Amino acid sequence: MIKSGSPSGGSEEVSYHTPEDLFVASATICYMNGFLNFLERMHIDSNSFECNAVGILEKIGRSFEITKIEMKAKVVIESEELRSKIERALELAAKYCFVGNSMKCPITHETEVIVE
Amino acid sequence: MSEESHEYQVKVDWTHGRVGNLSVEGKPKIQISAPPEFDGTKGIISPEDLFVAAATSCFMTTFVTFTKKMRIDFKSFSCEGHGTLERVEKGFQFTKILLKGKVTVESEDLVPKAERAMELAGKYCLVSNSMKCSTEHENKVVVG
Repeated sequence: MIKSGSPSGGSEEVSYHTPEDLFVASATICYMNGFLNFLERMHIDSNSFECNAVGILEKIGRSFEITKIEMKAKVVIESEELRSKIERALELAAKYCFVGNSMKCPITHETEVIVE
Repeated sequence: MSEESHEYQVKVDWTHGRVGNLSVEGKPKIQISAPPEFDGTKGIISPEDLFVAAATSCFMTTFVTFTKKMRIDFKSFSCEGHGTLERVEKGFQFTKILLKGKVTVESEDLVPKAERAMELAGKYCLVSNSMKCSTEHENKVVVG
């Protein structure tokens, strides 16, 4: 179970996932799923995928809105020759992310592909 | 960054297949996956679930905020969220979210106030306001 709530400062509430967390998480996970989907279609593999994302909430007029999501993805691959394909998979994952495309805000993607 | 601005940070790590972990600092790690209809594993939370959950939980927290501002009490709140994902020009997109909220109050005179708090919660829900799709509300207030 995921507990959700807005933190009121009480210690028992520290571990609650907020709606804002879930919103940013949904776009980030969708990006990962898209990447995995394109890897499969392209018949290539990666050793790892991780992505850090930050969502910015700002006051717009009288209410708040998430105005930007910044993603930083890091992929480890086995050989240099995979690099261009992996970069293409990351690009397509960003373009076809259902959840990201359902949001008003722009989403930026910084990617790092490392050979190990 | 002004007082009117906040940042939310999450991290996703792929583990195997179409499964990974979602981490938010100081909070329990959640296993996540693609949904079964997109080749994911059954029984694991998907980004589609979280997208709808974000709107549903935001409606709840905003409702609570308005009841506090209006100084009214309620006995229970529950909300079912239904998201519709459809194929549009550029792949899939959420085209609608339906939130069915139910609130129980102690007496008849609280009904219109609770209805007003639900209406305002719908209007000021920051997550819904950050989505392209429209959010529809079916609100119900009962005395119990």
